[in-house]
Amino acid sequence: MNEPTRELFWSLDGTQILLFYLGAALAGGVFLAGCWRLFDRYRRARRLPSLPDLRAGLGRALVDVLSQRTVRRRDALAGWAHTAVFAGYLIGAIGTAVITVEYDFLAPLFDIRFWRGDFYLWYSLILDLGHLGLTVGLLVLIGRRLLLRPAKLDYRRRYRGERERGPTARRRWLEDWGFLLFLLAVEITGFLLEGARLLMEQPAWAAWSPVGRAVAALLAAAGMDGQAAASFRVFLWWLHGALALGFTAAIPWYKARHMLLAVGSLAVRDRNALRRLPREPEEAGEAGIGGTGDLTWKDLLDLDACTRCGRCHEACPARTVGAPLSPRDLVLDLGEAVRRQGPIDLAGGTIAAETLWSCICCGACQEICPVGIEHPPLIVRMRRRLVERDELDPLLRTTLDQVANTGNSFGENPRKRGHWTRELEFRVKDLRREPAEYLWFVGDYASFDPRNQQVSRTVARLLRAAGVDFGLLFEEERTAGNDVRRIGEEGLFEELVRTNRDAMAAARLFRRILTTDPHSYNTLRNEYPDWGAMPPVVHYSRLLLELLESGRLRVTKPLGYRVTFHDPCHLGRLNGGYEAPRKVLERIGCELVEMPRNRDNSFCCGAGGGQIWMTPDPKREKPSENRLREAASLGGIDVFVTCCPKDLAMFEDARKTGGHERDFVVRDLAELVAEAVELGLLEPKDLPDLLERIVDAAAQRWVERVERRLGDRLPGLVEAARTEGREAPGTEPVPDAGGEGGEARDGEPASRCAPAETGPAPAPEPPFLPMRWEAPRPLAPAPLPDYEVPEKTGPRILVAGKRVAVLGDEFSLAPDGRDVCPEALDHALNEWDDAALEAALQFVERQGAGEVVAVSVGPEDAEAALRRMLAKGAARAVRIWHPTLERADPALVARALAGVAVKERPDLLLTGVQSADFAHAATPGLVAGMLDWPFVQTVVSLEREGDLLLVERELEGGLRERVELRTPAVLAVQTGSYAPRYATMRMIKQARRKPLVVLDAEGVADGSSAYRLRGMRVPERSRAEMLEGSVEEIAARIAAIIRSRREG
Amino acid sequence: MPGTLILADHVGGRMAGSTAELVGAAKALGRPFGEPCRCLLIGDRDLCARAAELSFEGVDEILTVDVGSSDFDATRWAAVLFRVAAAERPRLVLVPHSANGMAVAPLLAAELGSGLATDVFGIRVEGQELVAVRGAYGNKLEMEVDFPGRELVVLTLRGASFPPAAAGGAATVRAWPLPAEELPRSVRHGGYVEAPASDVDIGKAEFILAVGRGIGDRENLPRFAALAERMGATLGCSRPIVDAGWLPKAHQVGQSGKVAASCKLYLAFGISGAVQHLYGMKHVETIIAVNTDPAAPIFNVATYGATVDLFELADALEREFA
Repeated sequence: MNEPTRELFWSLDGTQILLFYLGAALAGGVFLAGCWRLFDRYRRARRLPSLPDLRAGLGRALVDVLSQRTVRRRDALAGWAHTAVFAGYLIGAIGTAVITVEYDFLAPLFDIRFWRGDFYLWYSLILDLGHLGLTVGLLVLIGRRLLLRPAKLDYRRRYRGERERGPTARRRWLEDWGFLLFLLAVEITGFLLEGARLLMEQPAWAAWSPVGRAVAALLAAAGMDGQAAASFRVFLWWLHGALALGFTAAIPWYKARHMLLAVGSLAVRDRNALRRLPREPEEAGEAGIGGTGDLTWKDLLDLDACTRCGRCHEACPARTVGAPLSPRDLVLDLGEAVRRQGPIDLAGGTIAAETLWSCICCGACQEICPVGIEHPPLIVRMRRRLVERDELDPLLRTTLDQVANTGNSFGENPRKRGHWTRELEFRVKDLRREPAEYLWFVGDYASFDPRNQQVSRTVARLLRAAGVDFGLLFEEERTAGNDVRRIGEEGLFEELVRTNRDAMAAARLFRRILTTDPHSYNTLRNEYPDWGAMPPVVHYSRLLLELLESGRLRVTKPLGYRVTFHDPCHLGRLNGGYEAPRKVLERIGCELVEMPRNRDNSFCCGAGGGQIWMTPDPKREKPSENRLREAASLGGIDVFVTCCPKDLAMFEDARKTGGHERDFVVRDLAELVAEAVELGLLEPKDLPDLLERIVDAAAQRWVERVERRLGDRLPGLVEAARTEGREAPGTEPVPDAGGEGGEARDGEPASRCAPAETGPAPAPEPPFLPMRWEAPRPLAPAPLPDYEVPEKTGPRILVAGKRVAVLGDEFSLAPDGRDVCPEALDHALNEWDDAALEAALQFVERQGAGEVVAVSVGPEDAEAALRRMLAKGAARAVRIWHPTLERADPALVARALAGVAVKERPDLLLTGVQSADFAHAATPGLVAGMLDWPFVQTVVSLEREGDLLLVERELEGGLRERVELRTPAVLAVQTGSYAPRYATMRMIKQARRKPLVVLDAEGVADGSSAYRLRGMRVPERSRAEMLEGSVEEIAARIAAIIRSRREG
Repeated sequence: MPGTLILADHVGGRMAGSTAELVGAAKALGRPFGEPCRCLLIGDRDLCARAAELSFEGVDEILTVDVGSSDFDATRWAAVLFRVAAAERPRLVLVPHSANGMAVAPLLAAELGSGLATDVFGIRVEGQELVAVRGAYGNKLEMEVDFPGRELVVLTLRGASFPPAAAGGAATVRAWPLPAEELPRSVRHGGYVEAPASDVDIGKAEFILAVGRGIGDRENLPRFAALAERMGATLGCSRPIVDAGWLPKAHQVGQSGKVAASCKLYLAFGISGAVQHLYGMKHVETIIAVNTDPAAPIFNVATYGATVDLFELADALEREFA
């Protein structure tokens, strides 16, 4: 007993030692079985497309784990307590390992013993203090739960109105407490054991175990003598041993597993998570995550590693405003689902669709997660499945359709993308014709939103003043697709990437890409490179800083405003752009007062992840309003500064709805810079250009006035004048700058209408046969070439789908005055036909047999409409075309459709009530007349009962009539009752494999057109006629107008 | 005998108001297209007995065909029209562009190979030719069509586009003998369903009073709702009103709300005209915009504008519609 050490199995006989080893082996077995169970799941899960860099990842993970850096962020108390627990546990584990190495290996095998003497003393001290730290840490954590009761640790789903702890919340709550108390019990029994030993042995070196000695003193004070201590020690030894072994065995089986897995989840953490979303495998089955089987091993590892710290719950802006989403609950729910047996439906199942649609994709949750869980990519991947299943907000569906059709989320004519430049004093370079240093990728909001257009013009003026050489792609630019991707429409995103990349490739030389939009910035910078090299992308905050620093912009009037700055998620948190805007504010003499939530903890405006296109719940506070309250609480703020177009739109709105109109103004960074450098609107060098434009504008108005006077009398002359580049009435046209080579200033061709000799040859005047009462000429189905029509397998429904033309606000009439110039037209599938297709699909789906065949009369371009119909579920498609059908009237179209019906012998032929462009509402009736089939117009519901069709049709004023009829029949479907399903771009691509027959329709145009087109004209309409006079007089005028319109 | 044959539309035993407008349109044409003017009433015996209701000024003769039922059957009505037209040989058949009319007219035109134009809002005679005016490209343009060499032209006329003829004509009524069993039937009537006691339906509303942020406060909303009701308008609004929770989503006009697809008359009160809002209403035929800001973009799409105080105007309008 001279040399300090202790006997490991004091007072135990051989059997008891054997018993202990058996127990230890059992615990080890249970532990290993638990580990295997986890690992086995990872082994069988989906593979990652490419392995992360494990070496670097492991290095970072070890630093994170050992330093406990991530645990202390934004919760110092819990973080330090956890650090103590972690360190104590680590020390304890190493201590146990040291003993095992000596006692079980070195001593029996080589007779080497080192657990004695000075080593033992230091060992005792370090372990004693380590366990003290651990215990104190645990007590702090327990105290925090009892006294502080942090909301983030409360599992009640308040955002779902849960007042009481439900069974799930109760289970989680018990598990948390179990973990804490289990470990505390291990620690306390350990100290008691040590105390009993010291009390019994009274060694000289007891001071090296200060805690143990204190416990011993306490035990003695409680009246325990050496004898009692000895028997107490035996009991404690077994108790402590059982608890410690039990604790170890249980680690992989409950939340304690994070002790093992956090290293793994941190090691495979994707540093690009959310800012670069994963691509979908090209030809895999359904997109995204639907059920547990679609998760990768990394997903499972992340879900298992969750510590339930609640930091993501606390950081989530959606949760903060009461949206039905908590990233913590999402991860816990998913984790519990994947640990159950068998495949489980996740997207729209375990995780409600409304939860997935609540995410703003701001990245706050993953940014703060101490173990590197990446929530938003999981959410987006689940959204991909929802989009594919068409389980999305109708508004979102509309927006996606618009993006697909027009390339912008506003549904605006793409040609208007560059119109914001028209109010500039100078001409903006068109990168399609001339090279420039910067390609300015403007983005939707900065291009189309009036408030943001002002900012765009300010930025343009600043760039010009600083001599920055920049150009635009004008209408060749499309939405960059950042938010489309985050909605989960991956196919459409890929399409946008392809289009934008093509446009950039076709543009003249540029070196860098500039954008004011952090969303575009993010995707161009981080995601587009997945499709090939990209030039560097710069956010304007960075460029403005460079210009100010280099003196190309000179601050002449320091502003002295007290401002606060909102970090856009996509610039700051996702791309680290925290400093440039702040330095700009400093340089222009603003006093920056930070909001409590700034930089990485910035609070999202609520626009991201497609939220800007969804319907907010009016009962909830909007994140933007929450943010402005935060700014208002700073007090005395002059300006709330943004540097993101969506931010500006959201906060301008919230400033009004939230009642902050007197608190501060919302301004873009560039607007402040412009003020500080005293950017004059006019520069001498702009004068000639401007004068020319003023003269042009005046001349233009004069031409219009003359034109109006002459009116119908000189249509030919007028049309000739129009082709010189005139705008449609109703807009205030700014004429072309008449610059180099007569090119239009915002990139439109000099003549809006291709001259006849270069355009397609004008269609020959089709014959128009007379009709006499003596010899009526009934319309007849057109003879069409034969093609292979498959055998019927059930009801066959032909659905006629027209590719309708959508006329932009700006157009001009063709020289012959009989149509508009085709450049002004966009195209889309007729929405009534879309409803008819939906009715047909639902009918066939209910029957469980049969097929829907899409039919369209149109040129090759019209196949897009047919592809869309095929993507939605039509089995085959037939396109009928001949150049003589250009400008075909309803009778010719009906002849062609009836011709197909003769070949296909369908049970039903469905069309929309009318087409959106010409609204004849005549084609289906003409088809029915030719085929001599029953016909019902304005159908709103369609069912089958035995041999009969039960149809409801809609009459004026919403009255409905039920009718019964027999097949075959022609039905024209009204919109409203059959909401068309969404076809993802991916489904459209996959539909390319479905058969599409093209029929030559030479014999269709046989002179039986219903009418002959004489010409088109623009109805008289211009800017509002302003009503003047007293309020009474104006009211009387308005009342008269109302009455005349109401009463015919 | 040339002239016009007019299909008298009716639903559920109620004569449609369109007939007077069709008579008005025919009268304005005069000979040989418009006059003489005959109305054709297809229905059961009771309805035919009420043929005198169609005796508008300018109607020369009312033909009634008792087919044993007043319920609509496109095939049957088209067959009757065909028989009568073949016998009377008018130059023009006028049909309302209604749910019934848009079903019958093409069937008749297909049977005869006649001229056909639908949703017509203007007719004139140029020389020997009839010229019809209708919309094109979502009514952004007008198109003119003619029918050279067609001895019969069938037109469906847009409602509220022609001045209705006054009542009180002196038409004779002639029962046209046509045994019902000779006529084809294609559908069997199964009853009417009244429109559900509906909330707002912006998409179907023809007259909308829409309010925007200019109304200032939620408390001001009820007076505009009351004004709308008084004028017979559907209450619509712009996005901020819905965002603020002042009105349910169903009222919202615009990109993210409903498109005022059937609207003919639109009053925009305190709406500046954000592009998203214009999207839902700029196509409307008559737009009256009231906004204190004379530069508000809404005035670019409005037919009439006023820059007076919204509340004073609302007061004055309440008096107008008292």
